[in-house]
Amino acid sequence: MKEIKLKNLDVSCYEEDLDNGLKVVLLPFSNKKNYFINYGTYFGADITNFTVNKKDYQVPNGIAHFLEHKMFEQADGVDPFSYFAESGTGSNASTSYEYTNYICYGNKEFSRNLRYLLKFVNEPYYTDKNVEKEKGIIAEELKMYEDIPDFQLEMRLRENIFHKSPRRIDIGGSIKDIKEITKEDLYLCYDNFYTPSNMFILIVGNFDVEESIKIIKEEVGDIKDKKLPNIKLPKEEETIRVKEDKITGNIKVDKLGVGLKIDISNLKMDDLTLDLYLNMITTIIFGNSSEFRERAHNEKLINNFYMEWETYDKYRIFYIMASTNDKEKLLEEIKYELNDLVISEEAFNRLKKVWIANEVKMIDNIDATVGNLFDDLIKYRKVIPNKVELIKKLSITEINKLVKKIDFSNMSVVYMEPVEEK
Amino acid sequence: MEYIKKDLASYNLHIIKTDKFKTINIRLVFHSPIIKEEITIRNVLCDMFMQSSKNYDSKRKLTIKCQDLYAATIETTNNRLGNYILTNFHLSLLNDKYTEEGNFEESLKFLSDIIFNPDVSNNRFKKDKLDIVKISATNNINSAKEDASSYSLMRMAEAYSKTSPISYRMLGYLEDLEKITEENLYKYYLKMLTKDFVDIFVVGDVTEEEIVPLIKKYFKFKTVKRKKVPYIIDSKLRKKRLFAKESIDNSQSKLAICNVTTSLSPYERFYPLTLYNIILGSGSDSKLFKNVREENSLCYTINSVANKLDNLLIIMAGIDKESYKKCLDLIDSNMQDMKKGKFSEKDIKIAKEYYLTALDEMLENESSIIDNYLMMELLGTDDFEEKRKKMLTCTKRDIIKVAKKVKMDTVFCLEGVKNERD
Repeated sequence: MKEIKLKNLDVSCYEEDLDNGLKVVLLPFSNKKNYFINYGTYFGADITNFTVNKKDYQVPNGIAHFLEHKMFEQADGVDPFSYFAESGTGSNASTSYEYTNYICYGNKEFSRNLRYLLKFVNEPYYTDKNVEKEKGIIAEELKMYEDIPDFQLEMRLRENIFHKSPRRIDIGGSIKDIKEITKEDLYLCYDNFYTPSNMFILIVGNFDVEESIKIIKEEVGDIKDKKLPNIKLPKEEETIRVKEDKITGNIKVDKLGVGLKIDISNLKMDDLTLDLYLNMITTIIFGNSSEFRERAHNEKLINNFYMEWETYDKYRIFYIMASTNDKEKLLEEIKYELNDLVISEEAFNRLKKVWIANEVKMIDNIDATVGNLFDDLIKYRKVIPNKVELIKKLSITEINKLVKKIDFSNMSVVYMEPVEEK
Repeated sequence: MEYIKKDLASYNLHIIKTDKFKTINIRLVFHSPIIKEEITIRNVLCDMFMQSSKNYDSKRKLTIKCQDLYAATIETTNNRLGNYILTNFHLSLLNDKYTEEGNFEESLKFLSDIIFNPDVSNNRFKKDKLDIVKISATNNINSAKEDASSYSLMRMAEAYSKTSPISYRMLGYLEDLEKITEENLYKYYLKMLTKDFVDIFVVGDVTEEEIVPLIKKYFKFKTVKRKKVPYIIDSKLRKKRLFAKESIDNSQSKLAICNVTTSLSPYERFYPLTLYNIILGSGSDSKLFKNVREENSLCYTINSVANKLDNLLIIMAGIDKESYKKCLDLIDSNMQDMKKGKFSEKDIKIAKEYYLTALDEMLENESSIIDNYLMMELLGTDDFEEKRKKMLTCTKRDIIKVAKKVKMDTVFCLEGVKNERD
């Protein structure tokens, strides 16, 4: 085990790559009672097209999410939810474009629960009957999301930004997609993507490091690794597919969605530093303390405002979604900010101070710490131990140099208006 | 953890000393009996505090001040607790040990400034600020349907009763919003400041000696302690079950069921009812989850919540319109099973574990710690140790006795009538 001191945060985490390639990250806290155990695979909704032993496979959309649901079906009939519940322990799972993750969290029976989490994720049990049964449940889940106007706006934005990327499609797929899924599809994906070198374990909270690594080695140390299939991610085009679009929804207040697609191949910066800078740029120009927000607020343009960065291939995509009384004006304000952008030193230094304070605050809260380390594992496939130092090192000259290189005009806009009253 | 309660004449100060956190959390709670016509003005006032103060005359300046205090956060919320409305000011900041000497005092001073020194001149709030808040409130009220789950709960409560506080919309009402002026808002502000009950909670690595003088210095109220109306609502059960429905242009339907609990003793309310609820429908190991979702594939979400102070137990499910009857019958029969004692000692043991884990979990989170002491203060609930002891002595007989007191009253269905596309 390698000890990694999280600099400036008074804690250490431990990292080890097992012989079979499984990555293990452990962050013990002596002053907490609870724990979170994550067992994840880098298999998400992005992957539906791959080659194994020279044979090409195309599986239905939404399969990673479907597989996540079916993992909770066990040959011995024990329901993992019930097993964890016996010690008052919660359990859950989630699927994104990039990963599937299984989690249990509680404050009792750590060893027993760790063993079980590893065991149940390693023992798939799919039958025609139990696969069929799940379709009704997932259909209701998909319908639940479909009914949410913000979700409709985001999906349309995704369809319009991307030409070919799987990011155009809902993580869960469509009802039509999931109806096609068979147990053979599930086993094919499980066997090829739930393999040690494509997986990781992340534990945070109150537990013993030595004991955990011992259990992990006993449970999964002997599993043979398998060569990962050749994954065929569609090559995404640089242009925006649809620049402007209008949809209607079950809403009373208009919505505006904006997506920026940025090709980072010419920016010549490592991913981590680039992400920090990009995040900083958008927080400074669109965040709570920005002049933009003040103006939009005073002119009553924003009812709520949400923004997020996403990574796909050589692109960074920036999303803005807002509900607004004047979507054209709001778009104008957004474009105005992005035009001839210069970051002020005062705002830059203030944000650095806030980010450093937030890193310290985050350590107080196990949920937040898990989220932070988890993000690192997904984005960079490792823990970033010196984030505070990296933040301190960010420079105003660099950020303004970067800003000049980015094309902020590669934009897709979706307007959402109320359905006309019948 | 050490708890100290100080009577500071016009309010109580509750200090919870713990070295578990790097942050200090303060919550200032105004509480008074809820009046339907005042919910909207209270929401507006709550929002006005965060728009500006005399010394920080814009939202942006307030935000920047928070950032300068090493990313301190301040937020205001309104919530209903039985017959009362609570207005909360939450301040969260890093302990001076991690920032600089005086940052804590400066933050308290800032919070005090927001509360006691609002942006008022000539006994009026600022018109431009009020306009912003009113538009935002209008939009929030108008957008209620976007969240179909919470909308269905709201409509279910209104079907249950026209007069009980349970049916009050916490988003407020447009007709009340129109009546709010800069003057009457200021009058309402003065009323809240002088007539409401106040409690202040501080959690963190602090000492009584440093906290008491600081709180006394920055928080001076002239409230008078009076006899209180009870917190618990005596919900009535109608003679015949009421069925109500409404349609919405969504794919999914939402079933919301209101069950009334009658003549519960305090012990039954906080212990056997809690176990009853866990076994029946809260959590992923519950009867409803297993029988309605897993066995019959009728839904993705189904759960129950015991609103103890309202004497209500609410059941919610996202279903297909066609499954309405089947789903309702299953819920009915699962509730009947509870009455007949068709649940095992193991179910009870698991439910207790679940509760005890959640209880331990509360101690890991500053906000839950405050919630706990707040309930002790307002309702005289037991402390952590007492809760643990009493829950462990709960028997199957106790739960069956409570099960017989849970009666289905109102069944509301928000019918999704969007045409099926697949």
